[in-house]
Amino acid sequence: MKDPQLALHGLAIKKHGDAAEVAAITGLDPARVQALLDEAVAAERVVKAGAKYMLQPVAQIALRTAYSRDCAAERANPVMAEGYAAFEKINEHLKQLITDWQTLPVGGSRIPNDHSDEAYDARIIDRLGALHDRAEPMLDRLASGLPRLAIYKDHLRAALEKAEDGEIAWVSDARIASYHTVWFELHEDLIRVLGRQRIE
Amino acid sequence: MTARWTLRLGGHDLPDRALIGGKAWSIARMAALGLPVPPAFVITTRACAAAQEGAFPEGLAEEIAEGMAWLEAQTGRRFGTGPAPLLVSVRSGAPVSMPGMMDTILNMGICEATEGALAAETGDAAFARDTHRRFWDLYAHIVLKSGIDGFDPGGTPATWAQALAAAGGAMPPAPGDRLHAAIRAVFDSWNSRRAKRYRQHHGIADDLGTAVTVQAMVFGNLSDTSGTGVMFSRNPITGERVPYGEYLPRAQGEDVVSGKFTPRPLAAMPETVPEAYHTLLAAAERLEQDSDDVQDIEFTVQNGWLYLLQSRAAKRAPAAAVRIAVEMVREGRISPATALGHVTPDQVRTVLAPRLPEATAAAAAVLAQGEAACPGIGIGVVVTDTDEAERLAATGADVILARATTSPEDLHGMIVAKAVITEQGGSTSHAAVVSRALGVACVVGCGLGQVTALAGQTVTVDGATGRIYRGALAALVPDELNDADLSMLRGWAEAASPVTVLPFGTDVPGLVDLNAAEGGEDPANLPRLLTGATAATGGALSTEAGMAAALAAGVRTITGTPSLPLLVAAARAARQTRETRT
Repeated sequence: MKDPQLALHGLAIKKHGDAAEVAAITGLDPARVQALLDEAVAAERVVKAGAKYMLQPVAQIALRTAYSRDCAAERANPVMAEGYAAFEKINEHLKQLITDWQTLPVGGSRIPNDHSDEAYDARIIDRLGALHDRAEPMLDRLASGLPRLAIYKDHLRAALEKAEDGEIAWVSDARIASYHTVWFELHEDLIRVLGRQRIE
Repeated sequence: MTARWTLRLGGHDLPDRALIGGKAWSIARMAALGLPVPPAFVITTRACAAAQEGAFPEGLAEEIAEGMAWLEAQTGRRFGTGPAPLLVSVRSGAPVSMPGMMDTILNMGICEATEGALAAETGDAAFARDTHRRFWDLYAHIVLKSGIDGFDPGGTPATWAQALAAAGGAMPPAPGDRLHAAIRAVFDSWNSRRAKRYRQHHGIADDLGTAVTVQAMVFGNLSDTSGTGVMFSRNPITGERVPYGEYLPRAQGEDVVSGKFTPRPLAAMPETVPEAYHTLLAAAERLEQDSDDVQDIEFTVQNGWLYLLQSRAAKRAPAAAVRIAVEMVREGRISPATALGHVTPDQVRTVLAPRLPEATAAAAAVLAQGEAACPGIGIGVVVTDTDEAERLAATGADVILARATTSPEDLHGMIVAKAVITEQGGSTSHAAVVSRALGVACVVGCGLGQVTALAGQTVTVDGATGRIYRGALAALVPDELNDADLSMLRGWAEAASPVTVLPFGTDVPGLVDLNAAEGGEDPANLPRLLTGATAATGGALSTEAGMAAALAAGVRTITGTPSLPLLVAAARAARQTRETRT
């Protein structure tokens, strides 16, 4: 994908994002993203509110065309297909893990985890670390087919290590680049690039 | 010969936790209380420290062989051979729990020869094959790190070996070699990336080492007087002082999880194993007394004999936490100070959270129903477009976000919504997961077309029951002053709290409003924001960390409603501060 499309793609994943956030996820230079998004604002493809940008419907349509044109190589690459299949498999484990993180089993039903039991939380963060160890070869495989995806591995690792160091919000808090947030953004990125459907 | 590297668990002496690790210590604790546990020996942390570089220290292999011979003698079974094969579990256990340590290997000792013996002994060839496969799954994943997600349950040991060879791995033929490799894998996990980082971050010495517990496995599927189950010393949902749990006659632990069998209530246990049942009740009582808290006990009955596998403080529902804490004080079992330690501010807040009175719910029209994903009551106008939800909420309207499914594109709408409802997806879907992170009431999986059809209507969403009702229903806000248990808890919390809590909105001179302060929701900012303050209000104070910061800053008056979560937070924070100082 060329830089202008890539900046829009990054914004499609971040939704309400500022230039720095879009830069972090696409690997583009922040100043370059700022310039590209401002151009898109001038072209009425993007609206700006404060420092945050948001795609207009017309840009969403343009992006879909761009995917099928610019991502043909990735869509035809068996390495990407294998990587995505591995992602889907680990994704099932991650979803279960996040549910276990947010709810506790109590006598056959589940209640919200209030995170007062540090040992319970520590066991789940340990499981997240084990899941990450399993995910790394898959992330490497995807990055071998599309190098910019390597950035997700760094972000996932950074979130994991913050969680391991006791900042538990980095497991699943939706408002920061937590492990679950980054994982979900990667999922969204893959779905768009590879033209897949989300399975809920 | 005196053992240098291993210890047998049992008897009345409790070995040093630093030497045998947390898991072995809890087995030893049950044994020391005179309770029945499957025999086990432990390879001490000293052996791990001496074993770095991969090789066993001199004499360890011999001591492992002696330990296994002792387990054989204790159980009357043989490792690696029939007719009654001994299977063992191999667990890591560091003195302090840390990430990255090896997971438990179960069913060690099963091989082609013992699978046949186990099939004959249990009369269940499918169980023996399944046990064999589960061992392969764990061994390939944990010891060999093969990357295989699981072997074909319909396959044979030969097809598993082929699959493993294709992934570049091989299963050692001799059970003894497998045991040694698993023990080595525990030692190696001490130096995993995660374990090393954790130790570095927490200042834990690298030469502490982890212990390895080798424990005989017991079988709940040997006969009609065998079974497996879980029991709570009190009901963990209501808090009522009655034994609660499930029992599966003629079943092995994994069967509970597999859903292959429908568990029966614990009360059915005396029908087949009355003695084991009475031993279990007495054990639960003893464990509760020893720990001053409700216990969650895993057990197996083998040919009528009870074995306790694990006992720990039980997870409990918020209402149960309050009731149990108060009743244990009434029984003279624990002090009010201990009781306050058993109830968190969050639990109190949940007990006090609005809910729909049963009569109101029964009389209301149910518009849609799905899976309850995050408890709470949300009342507002249904909006199906995320941007529209954000726009409407900005005008001060209460909105309910209704989507077929949600994705990260919907986050900004979920943040402002009073509730989130979806048509597809279960308790692990994006909507469920994100709502729980945001604390927004959520119902998922209501069915195609069920919730988007409600656009424009005013509804009441009950995230605890998964129902969506027509109209704005009156939610019940529990009354903390007129509930006997809550009043008692309040009395203790007030006595232990160094601060006075007044109703929200009380005019107090010099009050600092953290809700209005930049960064006032983050406890980390409180020392700065509260410098010199004697009175404060704000959401961050109902966390223990926030309350501790307020106490340290010299705050003596707090306003907030309901007041009980704040009082409990203050009592707990004050105790924590005292304990840290001494």
